[in-house]
Amino acid sequence: MYAYGQPMLAIITTRNSVEDSSARMKRQQLLARLRDLVILLLAVTTALFFMLRLAGDPAMVLAGADATPEQLAALRAQYGLDRPLAIQFFMYLWSLLQFDFGASLASGVPAMEKVMDMLPATLKLSGLAMGFTIVCAIPLGGWLGARPETPARRIVAAIVFVLQGTPGFVVGLIMIQIFAVDLGWLPSMGHEEVSTWILPTVSLGAFLIPKLTRVVATNINESLQEDYIRTARASGASEFEVLWSYALPNAMLGTTALIGTMFAFLVSGAVVTEIIFSWPGIGWLLIESTQNLDFPVVQAIALVITVLVFTINTLADLLFGLLDPRIRVRT
Amino acid sequence: MNRALSRFVPRFELALGGLLVGALALLGVAGKAWVGLDPMEGNLMARFTPPDAANLLGTDNLGRDLFARVLAGLRWSLSAALLATSAAAIIGTSLGLLAAETEGWLRRLVLGSIDLVLAFPGLVAAIVVIAVVGQGFWPLVLTLGLLSWPVFARVVYAESLKLLAQNYVLAARLSGAGSAAVLIGHLLPALKGTLAVMLAFHFADMLIAESALSFLGLAAPLGEPTWGNMLAESRPHLFRAPWMLFVPAGAIVLVVVAANLVGDGLARTVDPSGQTSLK
Repeated sequence: MYAYGQPMLAIITTRNSVEDSSARMKRQQLLARLRDLVILLLAVTTALFFMLRLAGDPAMVLAGADATPEQLAALRAQYGLDRPLAIQFFMYLWSLLQFDFGASLASGVPAMEKVMDMLPATLKLSGLAMGFTIVCAIPLGGWLGARPETPARRIVAAIVFVLQGTPGFVVGLIMIQIFAVDLGWLPSMGHEEVSTWILPTVSLGAFLIPKLTRVVATNINESLQEDYIRTARASGASEFEVLWSYALPNAMLGTTALIGTMFAFLVSGAVVTEIIFSWPGIGWLLIESTQNLDFPVVQAIALVITVLVFTINTLADLLFGLLDPRIRVRT
Repeated sequence: MNRALSRFVPRFELALGGLLVGALALLGVAGKAWVGLDPMEGNLMARFTPPDAANLLGTDNLGRDLFARVLAGLRWSLSAALLATSAAAIIGTSLGLLAAETEGWLRRLVLGSIDLVLAFPGLVAAIVVIAVVGQGFWPLVLTLGLLSWPVFARVVYAESLKLLAQNYVLAARLSGAGSAAVLIGHLLPALKGTLAVMLAFHFADMLIAESALSFLGLAAPLGEPTWGNMLAESRPHLFRAPWMLFVPAGAIVLVVVAANLVGDGLARTVDPSGQTSLK
């Protein structure tokens, strides 16, 4: 009855097996990622553990400057610091496996609790700065990348170029001078009221916007020379449509990785900005606990940052695959 | 842009950037004699002097001449960034070449350590490493170099893989060239352009990193005239002496822009189509 039954079935089974293998590949990729994360965390933990021990003696930090040798010995015995370093390291790893990150040497509070208290402020600042950067850089980059090259575009491109060479913390300091000190318009400290968000957000944005703008502009410029743009023009799309609804989506593909990198940078690299604006985030905590040699807290910060950066980069990769069907097919 | 102009622009960028770098280097070398003032010597009678004829860029909270200090900082910052860049380039290029030429565990080890160092945020690592090795010029150079070599290694590895498959490399091998001869005699010359571009951009990054770490009080010893220290010193005196902020800030921006100009100009000269995946 079904003359084409056999071939049809064959096609269906082939397709199923293709789907099976692609699902398997995805699972394998996910497992490979997780394995990478575990290796990374282990390497970071190991390196930090031994480096921090080289930096100073935790018992001295606990006891304070005027401790007697007896007090130090008692503390060492209490915290197991008198045992061989290798034993201490494996004990530390063992407690990490049980999600015990130790207590802050300075305050006795669990180290991870301290980091988690500070994390929301850092995430808030990162989110604000990333949002601000995207909102400014994409229209600006689109406009700069469009043709023809007018004097106005050239002047803006030059400004972007100079701003690209200006570190965010320098912008932050200059903005404090102008808007907080000279004009008195905005506060330079605090983190709760909306008015205190503006200067840190803008100073981080000032560092990131030029980079993203230039990449968007280059990508737009390249997209505009593609055949599909000519087709769109021929089918009657206006220049505005060609730029924003034809060239831009294609140009955005190349920027997802950069946006991921930037977000990862913000989560970890906003250290100086947090210091300048007394923003109580993990960058601020990192400096404080490094200077106090508060080992458990430094370790906890490093682990949290590693996981965050890793997650962001993985998400950016996944997003890239979702946005670009060509890559989805290939993997 | 017409063809003549598009050929002119990268040269213009290169020339302007090169001129700036040259002038700054000259200032760094000869500036001390020109200013004739000690960057460390304060004059408490002349604190917070705005820029005038005697103190071209004004004085700071201890009456020290800011022009003399910014020049001293130029020497510190330029040499720290230059040495850190060289360290990163030498380590990164060697390991990148090694990973491209060898196979098996050695390649996996190099690629693994590239991923490892890149996955961990640089500034955080730098802060911790400096806490261990201590402050000062050489610890700083070493830290920056050791944490940033993967940038070079990754690009050199990728480019070398492509080059190693080229016919001229195969021809060299057939005519009896060994690994070292191929890498040094045939690959390095081909990587020259890429490396030059990376050096310029990396130098700018190192300078920013150096000034940020100095600003945090982690790189240069306190009181040492470096730009990061000067920025930190300016903070309590913003109301009285804004020039204390603007002088080092301007210096940092000037050097980074000059390095970026050179990098951009080189990138467009090396690869006029702009297809290079650098920056």
